[in-house]
Amino acid sequence: MNEQRRQILEMLADGKITADEAERLLGAVESEPDESPAAAPRAKARVKYLRVVVHAEDDGAGGGPSDINVRVPLQLLRAGVRLASLLPPVAITKANEELSRAGVPIDLAELKPQQLEDLVDALDELTVDVDDATSKIRVFCE
Amino acid sequence: MMPQIVTVRYRKRDGRWRRWFIPVVPVVVLLSPLLLIAVVGGMVVCFCYEISPTDAVRGVGRVLWALPGTRFEMEQGQTAVLVSIR
Repeated sequence: MNEQRRQILEMLADGKITADEAERLLGAVESEPDESPAAAPRAKARVKYLRVVVHAEDDGAGGGPSDINVRVPLQLLRAGVRLASLLPPVAITKANEELSRAGVPIDLAELKPQQLEDLVDALDELTVDVDDATSKIRVFCE
Repeated sequence: MMPQIVTVRYRKRDGRWRRWFIPVVPVVVLLSPLLLIAVVGGMVVCFCYEISPTDAVRGVGRVLWALPGTRFEMEQGQTAVLVSIR
């Protein structure tokens, strides 16, 4: 029982308000949106897809305008991330060498599956909006 | 859930749309002899690269099971393609 309901019932028990008033107040409390912290994860859990929407006007080459609309389940990204954790050590070593040669000194062996999953979980708050004169790109979760 | 139907839709040059519904399970059953060879090949690769075959199968299974809901739509001029997995 939340605090507001308890206060209303206490007021009713003390005789400060009538039963009708208590009923109205309880109805008003129940119709209020639940802003408790427990409601946030429920709203967060509704995000299921990563969307990429691209619209580009005709570039003059005669191809016409381009539209790309991609919807990827976040579950697929998670599965892909888990699959990436199967990379053999030899491949990771080679990839590290190539990355450092390209000026990106990242050690892929230090990337843990949990970190990658956290990264995918954080994607639901991601929104990328690129608005150019001739093209629009939107990346978001829904 | 395992993918049930893959829908491929594309626009022909005359502007008409062509749509294919590909039922996944019958196609998998039809191609099962080839899949068996692919699985054996995958096992050999797993042993060569010291990857656990169980983890590999589990990982591929997760990817396949997560596919429903995927949708790719592309349109440029006369060309238009839609691939949807349900």
